[in-house]
Amino acid sequence: MAIQVSGITKQFGTFRALDAVDLEVRSGELLALLGPSGSGKTTLLRIMAGLEFADSGSLLLNGEEALSLTPRERQVGFVFQHYALFRHMTVFDNVAFGMRVRPRGQRPTSTEIKRRVMELLELVQLAHFADRFPAQLSGGQRQRVALARALAIEPKVLLLDEPFGALDAKVRKELRRWLRKLHEDIHITSVFVTHDQEEALELADRVVVMSQGRIEQVGSPAEVYDRPASAFVYEFLGQVNRFDCVVADGVARTANGALSIPADGTVRGPAIAYVRPHDLGLSPCAAGPGRVSGIHVVGPDARIEIDLAGLPLEAEMDRERLSALGLRPGDQCAVHIARARVFPQP
Amino acid sequence: MLAKKAVGFTPALADSRWVKGLLIATALAFLLLFLVLPLVSVFVEALRRGTDAYWAALVEPDAVAAIKLTLIVAAIAVPMNLLFGVAASWCIAKFDFRGKDVLITLIDLPFSVSPVISGLIYVLLFGLHGLMGPFLKSQGIQIIFAVPGLVLATVFVTFPFVARELIPLMQEQGNEEEEAALVLGASGWQTFWRVTLPNIKWGLLYGVLLCNARAMGEFGAVSVVSGHIRGETNTMPLHVEILYNEYNLVAAFAVASVLAMLALVTLVVKTVLEWRFGAELAATRH
Repeated sequence: MAIQVSGITKQFGTFRALDAVDLEVRSGELLALLGPSGSGKTTLLRIMAGLEFADSGSLLLNGEEALSLTPRERQVGFVFQHYALFRHMTVFDNVAFGMRVRPRGQRPTSTEIKRRVMELLELVQLAHFADRFPAQLSGGQRQRVALARALAIEPKVLLLDEPFGALDAKVRKELRRWLRKLHEDIHITSVFVTHDQEEALELADRVVVMSQGRIEQVGSPAEVYDRPASAFVYEFLGQVNRFDCVVADGVARTANGALSIPADGTVRGPAIAYVRPHDLGLSPCAAGPGRVSGIHVVGPDARIEIDLAGLPLEAEMDRERLSALGLRPGDQCAVHIARARVFPQP
Repeated sequence: MLAKKAVGFTPALADSRWVKGLLIATALAFLLLFLVLPLVSVFVEALRRGTDAYWAALVEPDAVAAIKLTLIVAAIAVPMNLLFGVAASWCIAKFDFRGKDVLITLIDLPFSVSPVISGLIYVLLFGLHGLMGPFLKSQGIQIIFAVPGLVLATVFVTFPFVARELIPLMQEQGNEEEEAALVLGASGWQTFWRVTLPNIKWGLLYGVLLCNARAMGEFGAVSVVSGHIRGETNTMPLHVEILYNEYNLVAAFAVASVLAMLALVTLVVKTVLEWRFGAELAATRH
């Protein structure tokens, strides 16, 4: 089922959480709402679920206006960051809840509920835990129960609010893969909120980058990473070196003249140039303008801090390449820029 | 050498036995002097002339009337405050609105006002010469010096017990489970019965026990509105006072012992519940 958001605005006191947001979620896709805290991503998700009211705008669920519908009428599945499992109920009762609260006429029989719950617990690989209470489960298991519970009402849309936010790094990675696989199996239209760019890029079919209540860019993970639409997106997605510069004749120069970067023709005057650390090449050169001021090894990669005539830079490469170059702290080097983006000064 | 040193090592937080023993002894002596001894003396005084005199003091018509009245007042006041307490803490803990702080302060008011004054307020409002007195008289309704006045005064005094117990608990539990229930298709009513109430039931029970103990034991406010009509508007605490003032010590302590037993029962019920459902209690607070 497709979701069409148009002109949704939401104000909390003097804080504008959402500013006339337009967005289309395609049927069957897994969409990530990515942004820093306060960017409005969770508010947008909660408005879709009916847990928050929009001040203005419209929301179409499968072509039908949904803003006036209550959460129960919308039939969405919602997964909370902190699971929100019913703590006084067993895992089984948690998953069965959505079916048991249906009006008498639409309620499945208890054998049907039992069959369905066990099927879902099988799906989230927790069939053995049906009689446990949430407090007896690990974080990852609780979140899987929450997912099974959300799926039990056969929702048309699945909304996930920072679903992995409360988990530790290893479990997070496992659950992420597992969710991706689950989505490939059941193909339910899903929207998840995250502030973790790696998570969004790895998991989503399309990524929506948000900032200050507005959408900065919508695109596939490769699109938003390789062709950021704005300076904000560039800075938010991954590590970046940032320089203030002035563009003249298609070349951006930093104030001290240490670096010149080719710029596309549309930018002129004061600008900001961005270079990703892995797009920065180094070569040993005794007369080079840069000096290696520090080297940090993180797993298989090395981060090299460069002082380029007073301008601090960070380069990244794998350790083998670094040892082939033979650079050590204090060495002089030459700096090559493989790829850069120049945005006009805001 | 190192191994020898390790043997002599004491953890920083472990006090010496002397200190521990002294602290425990002090606490026990205090409890004995101020709690156990008075309680025991109530029963000793009550049974001074034997069980027959004790029993006679309890089945005497005025005493029976006082016990009945106390039960009636508690039976009306406690459910009222149960409903009010749940409603108030629900709206304070789960919603944001203007004047929330004022409401919280108002709920605490009966704790900070002397019970005598709260009784007096009702006399000034509903008494014969009070604000609504003439109107009530013309309608033939008597509130002061009658059961309605006793109930009103008791409700006022025991107002905060349930709400005070539930507000912090509900605030700590937050809204997420209710939101989850709504999204899963539950109505507001279903959400309350199936999610909110089970989560607060132990706090609620505890609040009701305290509320009940106070409702039955209240003296000051009830004394002002009662009028002390024997056999009609005397609750147990008031009856105890009258008997005591008449130097009828055995009867006074006999009725007092019933009140004391109520306190003990409350305590035992609470302890049993905590022991029996301790694990579940911990789970709902996790």
